[in-house]
Amino acid sequence: MATPDLRDELKAPVEPLLPIEKKLIGWSFGVGIALLALLVLLNRIIPLT
Amino acid sequence: MTYKPLLGVPAISDATIPLQAAEPARLSEDALAVAIGLGVFALALVSLFGADALGWVATTSVWTDPTVALTTASKAYAGLGGLGALALTYVALVAVLSAAAYALGDDVRRFATRFTVVFAIAYGAWFLGSWAYLAAVTPADQAKFGVSWSLKLTNEGGYIVALIAGLVIANVFPAFAEWLKSAIRPELYVKVAIVILGAFIAVTMAGKLTLASSLMLRGLAAIVEAYLIYWPVVYLIARKGFGFSREWSAPLASGVSICGVAAAIATGGAIRARPQVPVLVSSLVVIFAVVDVLILPVIAQAFMSHEPLVAAAWMGLAVKTDGAAVAAGGITQSLIQAKAAAEGINYQPGWMLSVTATVKVFIDVFIGVWAFILAYIWTNHVNPQPGAPKAKLAEIWERFPKFILGFVATFLIALALALGTDAGTSGKLATAIGEANVWRVIFFVLTFFSIGVLSDFRRLWQDGLGKLAAVYVVSLFGFVIWVGFVISWLFFAGIKPPLAS
Repeated sequence: MATPDLRDELKAPVEPLLPIEKKLIGWSFGVGIALLALLVLLNRIIPLT
Repeated sequence: MTYKPLLGVPAISDATIPLQAAEPARLSEDALAVAIGLGVFALALVSLFGADALGWVATTSVWTDPTVALTTASKAYAGLGGLGALALTYVALVAVLSAAAYALGDDVRRFATRFTVVFAIAYGAWFLGSWAYLAAVTPADQAKFGVSWSLKLTNEGGYIVALIAGLVIANVFPAFAEWLKSAIRPELYVKVAIVILGAFIAVTMAGKLTLASSLMLRGLAAIVEAYLIYWPVVYLIARKGFGFSREWSAPLASGVSICGVAAAIATGGAIRARPQVPVLVSSLVVIFAVVDVLILPVIAQAFMSHEPLVAAAWMGLAVKTDGAAVAAGGITQSLIQAKAAAEGINYQPGWMLSVTATVKVFIDVFIGVWAFILAYIWTNHVNPQPGAPKAKLAEIWERFPKFILGFVATFLIALALALGTDAGTSGKLATAIGEANVWRVIFFVLTFFSIGVLSDFRRLWQDGLGKLAAVYVVSLFGFVIWVGFVISWLFFAGIKPPLAS
C-alpha cells in the first residue's frame, strides 16, 4: 500500500466548498447548537438530585 | 474492528498501523473483544455459586519490599504465591490472546513470542508504578511505607510508566518497536477492558442509581458535541483554513471530533477515500492522543480537583481514540483521588472512570449513523458516479462498533444482579467483579504500553504530515479541548462522586 505524499497533494488546486458541503456544515452546527441549548435548558429545569 | 468494504474501498483494520496478517482474519477484533470480555465476566460470575474461578490472577499492591508486592486477587489462592500467580496469569493471557491472534489471521508463534515481551514490559511497568515512592498517596500511606516523599500517583501510576516505556521504545528503539508490532494491539486490549468495565461500572453505580442515571443522561451532550459541533468546525478549518481536499478533510474531521481511529476509518470508507488516507490520519490521531494523555490529566488535577466529574467528562470529550480516552480517565481518576485524599476527601473509586467511559461509549454508538449520512451525501451529491453503489442503511449496522454490545451486556447483567439479589449475593458479586477488574487493569496496562509503542513522533515530519498535524493542533488545542471543557462544566459542575464509606 503506497503512502500518498501529502506535499504533492497540497500543491493541487484547492477544491471550492460545494453548496452541499456548506449545507452540511451549516445544518450540523446549527442543529448542534440548538440541541445543546435544549439539553442545557433541561439540565437547569431538572437539576440532578 | 474490521470494517466491511463500502463502495469499493477495501476492508481495513482499525489498528493504527496495519499488521502483517499471515492469513485473512476469521473473526473481527470487536467479536474477539466481546468474547474475551464476556468470558472473564462469566468466570467472575461463577463465584456466585461458590467456586472462585478468577481469584488466582496476579495483582500488585503498593510496595517498598518488592518480594511481597505481588499477590493473588483472592486469599483463597494465596498458596500460589505472587510469582506463581504471575506465571499463571501470563499463561492464561498468552493462551487466550494467541487464540485471538489465530482468529485474526496472525502467525500464532510470532504473536506469542512478541506478546511474552510485551507482557513482561507492561506488567513490569505496573509493578514499578506501584513502588511507594511513585504510588503512596496520603501522609499516612507514606508513614506506613516509610517513605518521606512520593509522586502520589496511586498504583495506577503504572499506566504512565507503561506509556513512557512504550514511547521510549517507539522513538529510541524503532527496530524493537517494529519487532513487537504483532502483539501491539491497543484496540483489542482496550475493547476487552471496556467490556469488563461495563460490569465494574454497574456494581459501582448500583448503590447510587439516581445519581448514575442522571450522569448517563448528561453524557448525551457528548454525542451532540462530537458530531454536530466539533465535526463541522474541524471540517471547515481543514477545507477553508488549510486547503485540504474533501478526501482528506472528512476523515480528519472525524478523527479529531469523534473517536479517532475507528471514526477516521469509517469515514474514509463512507466517502470512498483511498485506504491510505484514513490510515495516515489514524497515525496522527494516536500521536496526539498520547500527548493528550500525558498533559490533560495533569491539567485536570491542577485545576479541576474539586470538580472531579467535570474532569472525567472532559477526558472523554477531548482525548481521541477509545483507548487513550479511557486511559486518560483512569489517570485523571488516580491523580484527582490522590489529591483529594491528601486533603482528607476519599471519593469512591470508579465514578470518574465510569463518566469518561460512558461519554466515550455514547460517542462511539453513532459512528455508523454518521458514516451512513456522509456516505449518502457523498454518493448522491458530492461525488455521484453513474452505476456506483449508493449508501445503504445496512451500513449503519456494519459500521457499528460491536464491542459496545459486550459493554452493554456486562453492564445490564451486573446491574440486574446487583439490584435484584439479596445483600449476601450482591456482596459476592462485588468481590467477583473486583477480581474481573484486575484483568481490566492488566488489559489497560497492555493498552497504555501499546499506544506508546505506536507513537513514533518522527512520523510527523514524514510524508508531509506536518500540515495535517497543523490542522489537528489548531482544532484540538484551539477548539476541541476548550469547548469540551465548557460543555463538561455546563453538565457536570457541582456533581461529586459519592464518598467512600
